[in-house]
Amino acid sequence: MTLNYKLLDILRRGRSPHENHLIDGLVRGAVSRREFLRYGSVLGLSAPVLGGVTSALGFGLMPGPARAGTPGGTLRYGQIVPAAAINPVTIADGGGVTMLSQFGETLVLSAPDLSAQPLLAESWSPNADGTVWTFKLRQNVKFHNGQALTADDVVATFDRLSDPANGSNALSVFTGMLSKGNTKKVDDYTVEFHLDAANGNFPYAVSTDNYNAIIVPADFPEDYEATMIGTGPFKLEKYTPKVGASFVRNPDYWGAAALPDRVEVVFYDDYQPQILALQGGEIDVIQQVPVLQVVGLLSDPSVNIISIPSSAHSQVHMRTDMDPFKDKRVRQAVALTLDRPKIVAGLMRGKAQIGNDSPFMPAYPSTDPSVPQRQQDIAQAKQLMEAAGAGAGFQTTLTTEKYLEIPDYSVLIQNAVKEIGIDLQLNIMDQGAYYGDAVPGKSPWLDSSMGITDYGHRGVPNVFLQAPLMSTGTWNSAHFNNPEYDALVTSFVAALDLEAQRATAGKIQTLLLDETPLLQTYFYDFITVTKSGMEGVVSTAMGHLMLGQASL
Amino acid sequence: MLRRLFLALLTLWLLSVLIFAGGHLLPGNVGRAMLGPFADPAAVAVLNHQMGTDRPVLVQYASWMLGFVTGDMGESYAYRSPVAPFLMTALLNSAKLAVVAFVLVVPLGILGGVVAALYRGRAADRILSVVGLSATVVPEFVSGIVLILIFGVWLRWFPISATWRDDAGPFDQLYHLILPSIPLVLILFGYIARMARAGMIEALDADYTRTAVLKGLTYPQVIWRHVLRNALLPTISVIATQTVYLIGGLVVIEILFHYQGIGSLIYTAAKKKDFPMLQAGVMAIGALFALTTLLADLLYARLNPRIRYGGRE
Amino acid sequence: MTDTAAAETAAEETARDQTWRDDLRRLARSVTFDIGAVIVLFWVGCAIFGPSLVPLDPFADDLLNSLLPPSSEHWFGTDQLGRDVFSRVIVGARDILTVAPIATLLSTVLGTALGLTMGYFGGMVDEVLSRLVDAVLALPTVIVALLALTALGTSTVTVLFVIAFSFAPIIARTVRSAVLTEVGLDYVAAAELRRENTLYILFVEILPNVLPPILVETTVRLGYAIFTVATLSFIGFGIQPPSPDWGLSISANYGMIGGGFWWTVLFDSLAIASLVVGINLVADGIESTLND
Repeated sequence: MTLNYKLLDILRRGRSPHENHLIDGLVRGAVSRREFLRYGSVLGLSAPVLGGVTSALGFGLMPGPARAGTPGGTLRYGQIVPAAAINPVTIADGGGVTMLSQFGETLVLSAPDLSAQPLLAESWSPNADGTVWTFKLRQNVKFHNGQALTADDVVATFDRLSDPANGSNALSVFTGMLSKGNTKKVDDYTVEFHLDAANGNFPYAVSTDNYNAIIVPADFPEDYEATMIGTGPFKLEKYTPKVGASFVRNPDYWGAAALPDRVEVVFYDDYQPQILALQGGEIDVIQQVPVLQVVGLLSDPSVNIISIPSSAHSQVHMRTDMDPFKDKRVRQAVALTLDRPKIVAGLMRGKAQIGNDSPFMPAYPSTDPSVPQRQQDIAQAKQLMEAAGAGAGFQTTLTTEKYLEIPDYSVLIQNAVKEIGIDLQLNIMDQGAYYGDAVPGKSPWLDSSMGITDYGHRGVPNVFLQAPLMSTGTWNSAHFNNPEYDALVTSFVAALDLEAQRATAGKIQTLLLDETPLLQTYFYDFITVTKSGMEGVVSTAMGHLMLGQASL
Repeated sequence: MLRRLFLALLTLWLLSVLIFAGGHLLPGNVGRAMLGPFADPAAVAVLNHQMGTDRPVLVQYASWMLGFVTGDMGESYAYRSPVAPFLMTALLNSAKLAVVAFVLVVPLGILGGVVAALYRGRAADRILSVVGLSATVVPEFVSGIVLILIFGVWLRWFPISATWRDDAGPFDQLYHLILPSIPLVLILFGYIARMARAGMIEALDADYTRTAVLKGLTYPQVIWRHVLRNALLPTISVIATQTVYLIGGLVVIEILFHYQGIGSLIYTAAKKKDFPMLQAGVMAIGALFALTTLLADLLYARLNPRIRYGGRE
Repeated sequence: MTDTAAAETAAEETARDQTWRDDLRRLARSVTFDIGAVIVLFWVGCAIFGPSLVPLDPFADDLLNSLLPPSSEHWFGTDQLGRDVFSRVIVGARDILTVAPIATLLSTVLGTALGLTMGYFGGMVDEVLSRLVDAVLALPTVIVALLALTALGTSTVTVLFVIAFSFAPIIARTVRSAVLTEVGLDYVAAAELRRENTLYILFVEILPNVLPPILVETTVRLGYAIFTVATLSFIGFGIQPPSPDWGLSISANYGMIGGGFWWTVLFDSLAIASLVVGINLVADGIESTLND
């Protein structure tokens, strides 16, 4: 590695201490190039700076934008029908997110490689302790109704989303982070967010990861669904609930004009009909195909499979507060029966990352890679069962929901734990029944001694670390209560610096591996399918589908 | 006639009670079901109040029933917009599919039945009855999947999805409806053929047929003038009662072929626990059934001078 | 009951047995019935003894050998988890052949009781019950099931009761019209003169005479019950995973047929088709034997 110290020195000027610390980490080799690019982008280092630093260090340039495709034509894509009205405040389902991404944009883009990229915000930076973040907005952005986007619209958007009275879905992100009234206009194109507590990953909270946070006009209309005014490269032409929608190119778009003239959206209730429709040539893109269903397409030369890593996973919980999983050795034994590489290869067709029973999947930059991966070890599992006084085995029930691959996964677990004498009965319910009233005592999800729950993608592990595992967590189905863990997570969330985050992450990973309240054996990829030869389709693991630069 | 109308209305009213009870005996928590497990309890309570699901059951029934009679079918839980437009579009789409299926199956079924009756007891009759029976009892999703596989995926003769583009003309629409109508045709063929056969045999054995033959009319003349007319009467009532089973089959067909009709409307409503949509859809089917039965009775009476509605049947 | 009356009843019963035996003999000679019976018995055998007969454990996964095409080792290939499709198809008969017959039996019992009541009492009782029957019959079973399953939650028991309740009115209607022709007959009048208990008249006097139509209707209903259970399983409201049920397997795998994995749905489809055709051939055989 050839270091160009002079260039580095120039680049360091005007950088905050956090940013310089990150650059130091890269120079020392404690931070890899990829992680540098990604985390630097979170802190608000602009692309030229990032590229400059890495090239000064001899890492080569940032990847350039994809080559321009041919404009024109109508692109048809299939997606799951939105579960509710198209309202950015309340949308909470994948189908709705995909719709939002056709016309709306957030301040920040959480890119497929999990880096934070500028979208409606040009740049951002935190104060010294990470409690105030300042965002600079783009100046040439117009809404679809011709109005210019200013700081007032941004403030109104975030006040609406953080107001508990609106029943906003974004509250799950903002509670304890951003309160109503704490988004402040500095000037027409500068906004400050005053956080409830320090947060090193705040840009993700205003990125596509928090899909509700698309910027809409300050005078948000009552029947938003009728207009769907946003800032995106396409604007609404027609929306027919339950059936589909069409969008046309936005001639006033601030960025590169959309290539397709029109985008037609076709809603489906399920995945199989979409696969058949793609194979029959009726649609060009399927926004998402679960890994389970991709099998039918793997050998088809007429389609192209786009696979991006995501943190979505099926989380197995074991109640730590009651038998038969009260003894952590029993929980460890269960974890040791699973052959993870085989599950990834077979159940997930290789389209997943192997998990190590903590939310820190390998693709997160904050994950400490030095924590050893748990491997299948039946002999040790049997010993642990003996040591816990459960050598004779026992019978218990695995309660779960009928969703994607979970029924199949539960069969694999059932077969695996037979090896150590556990006779697992399966109780597979429909989703509504499994979640029940979502409060302890009225929800199989939170009450079962063992269960499997689906968790969608998050750009950072914070939610996974808090809600299902902290003693105060509302989704804590494992009933895990460990003060040391709680303290570690609090310091992880506040850490502004990647090295500090990673050091805490290592401790959390080790603790979870020892306690094993949850099994996270794989994190499956997010898969979008296009017909072969298509270029420029961008999707996120959150469910966005961006077709502005797509060409047929 | 009035009596029949009254009975039909009575049946419909009973049906409405059954449907409403179905949706409200165990109401669960509508707001919770809609907002999902991760929503705030306060938001759930607000929503329940907005939708009026916290009112007494009888009040809810009265307002639902009253609304239904005046064409206001309530508001969908899932889409937060009136149910009626969804229902109308769905009914129109399903009607198109049903018409295509009937246009194909009625002549085929009657022809099959007539041929079977004329060759009673011989090979043609046996084959027709076994084929008809088999076609009738195989579930639509089995035949539908085979059709999709062969004609949609391998041969690519027909579109897999029955939903056409907005600008599709009548012929394009018809082209989209051919494949999905075939499983329905298969289901109905056996019934219609069987009824037509039975009617034919009865007519062939009847006295007036013998008289006609004795009068010296040729065989085709006898069949055409006397037998067919009398034989097809019972078939009409069968066709009418089959509409309701056809609608049952629409659920599967419309899911499989991705078509926005009444069947898929009910299915998605059931999946999303969207009770207003579900109840309106089911009620519409009930009303449709009552109507077709009534019409079939009237038609039957018109064609058959021996039956007149007036006093007791 | 006097001695003569008892003797008469005994004579009647012998005569009835005689016709039954005749009918059975003719039934055995019916080709359709025989073919149907063989198919049905085959699947019933699979349902009962399947788990101990199959070559491989239908639930055992083998992830590294998933989606293999049919071969000498896996006659019908393997599914996504590497489970043996042949074994699963055989054992897949189990749930549907439990739920459907129980539901049918239940509906026969309910429907017969209802039909006897309606036919025997007539008048207002008949009128009111008839309207209720009409109301239930105005809806296809699949729709009734969707409504009930949405309200009560998806479960096999709900499926069972929904089928029982929506088929009972059809059986009731058949029984009612059969009873109407019996009510005018002497033996009923005689029993009434003897001041027999109403329940006795209904179930001991009338019931044996209306058994043939009940039998026919029950077999026909069984075919529909299987049809309905399979359909509900296919749309996700019937038998639940991890059962190797046919409808469920087809629903899980049909998206893959475009990718060439036809064996994951074809054999299950054939199984359903053969079972329903078999049962209907049996019903057809019984019907034509009794009606001739």
